[in-house]
Amino acid sequence: MVTREDVENIALLSKLFVPEEELDGLTKSMQEIIDFADTINNAPTDGEDFDDINNLSNVFREDVVVESYDTKEILSNAPEQAEDHFLVRNRE
Amino acid sequence: MSYELVAGFETHIELATKTKIFCGCTTKFGGAPNSHCCPVCIGLPGTLPKLNREVVRYAIRAGLAVHGEIAEISKMDRKNYCYPDLSKAYQISQLYAPLIIGGYVELSNGRKIRLHHIHIEEDAGKLIHQHGDTYVDYNRGGVPLIEIVSEPDIRSIDEAREYVEKLQQVMRYIGISDCKMQEGSMRCDVNISVRPKGSEKLGTRTEIKNMNSINNIAKAMEYEFERQVDLIENGGSVVQETLRYDDATNTTSSMRSKEDAHDYRYFRDPDLVTIHVTKDVVEEIKSTMPELPADKCRRYIDELAIPEKDAQLLTKYRRISEYFDKACEGVKSPKTVSNFIIGQIFRRTETEADKEIFDVAVTPEQLNELVKLLDSGKIRNNLAKSTLEKMLDSGKGALEFISESDMGGLDENALNDLCKQAVEGNPKAVEDYKNGKEKAIKSLVGNVMKNSRGKADPALAESKIKKLIG
Repeated sequence: MVTREDVENIALLSKLFVPEEELDGLTKSMQEIIDFADTINNAPTDGEDFDDINNLSNVFREDVVVESYDTKEILSNAPEQAEDHFLVRNRE
Repeated sequence: MSYELVAGFETHIELATKTKIFCGCTTKFGGAPNSHCCPVCIGLPGTLPKLNREVVRYAIRAGLAVHGEIAEISKMDRKNYCYPDLSKAYQISQLYAPLIIGGYVELSNGRKIRLHHIHIEEDAGKLIHQHGDTYVDYNRGGVPLIEIVSEPDIRSIDEAREYVEKLQQVMRYIGISDCKMQEGSMRCDVNISVRPKGSEKLGTRTEIKNMNSINNIAKAMEYEFERQVDLIENGGSVVQETLRYDDATNTTSSMRSKEDAHDYRYFRDPDLVTIHVTKDVVEEIKSTMPELPADKCRRYIDELAIPEKDAQLLTKYRRISEYFDKACEGVKSPKTVSNFIIGQIFRRTETEADKEIFDVAVTPEQLNELVKLLDSGKIRNNLAKSTLEKMLDSGKGALEFISESDMGGLDENALNDLCKQAVEGNPKAVEDYKNGKEKAIKSLVGNVMKNSRGKADPALAESKIKKLIG
């Protein structure tokens, strides 16, 4: 069972602010998501390991340097930037 | 009551691969901010990480070097946390199936510090806190790390110090990292608790972070040990928390309160497939491993008759031991080679950094040649020593300074002549000796040595001179 406390805790871990009046609705939604996953979990699999559904293993890159992106491009989606850094404002 | 310290280490080591763990960006230290980045290592949605083969191979080397078991099957997991140093809000790491299981580091007191496991993971970005805001540089984000997790087997500050030094030494030997604590390529978190001596039960532990040298680790542990003992003695109890060490004040302070104790919600990373390491790959990597420092040290002591203390100096850095190995080839007395290195050569490589690089003007082959001249009795120790100084000054070989006539023993007649010359040429010393000044004989022998260019046997010369003086 998903509880209000679970939702509050997940919000805290995700650094999200959830208004009091939305807690019940979110708790219900989250329960539905978990139930959906349970349906999949309950499917009979005869104990087979589905970690690697396509049976792939050892997909590697070789250790060869590829040119990095231009700093401007890297920062282009940043909400705020300064001196070639991503800038994170302190909201507290 | 007396208390015992119990500590375990989590040691992060940056691997010296050319590229990051999941993309082809360079791992070079420094560089303009955010200039070693791409969509994969800044964690943009829709990108696909692909594991660097060399990271797995380096980690296997690390595992073999500490006697760990290489897992045939291992997997990558996501460790979820929200912090600006990690733009994806999760770190790709290993929890459920790490690459290396077990292993140990043996200390000089014979105790083995057991390792729980070693896993591979990505490093986070660098944060610069300024005026209450945070500036983020992701150049370090995605640099490959191994994390070596020990069991709580460490019982003293000295053991802690040696454990870190041994790890540093062996990881440098096998060439997987430069392990520079000041630059952050080796970082230690220490879990520490105390308990009454004799007790088997573990006390509540705290975790200390943010120590950038072995000395700081020792100081932080000392402080934390005293703090915990004080707490308990005064009827309090230790709270499980993460502490930050401040080397300016030599104190620890709370970094995270208990309320936001982490829940990382680990789960398998669906972007990355299973790592399957076959026995053949392990054997192949094993065959490329150098002789490890502990084995080398033992061999020097047992087979080459090098004193233990000297053997430790010779094996501290890989380059010194390789130099020594080469210089020893075919010589009768490895101890002589060792003495030249630890004596004259170490005087010219004074700092630890110099010793690590061990860039010496004289090649090991040149030293080998010099020692063989000494071995064969063609020259004497004094001449060898002074010649080595000249070689170190010039980078030239021994034969540049030793002529044919310097080599080979001095024949009897020549020695007789030289002794006669010394007696006749130094009447004052002869007089002094006759008047009972024993030491005066030394200056006469010195004269013979000088004129024979170090070839004369000083004991023989002394007896001849005594006879001459009568």
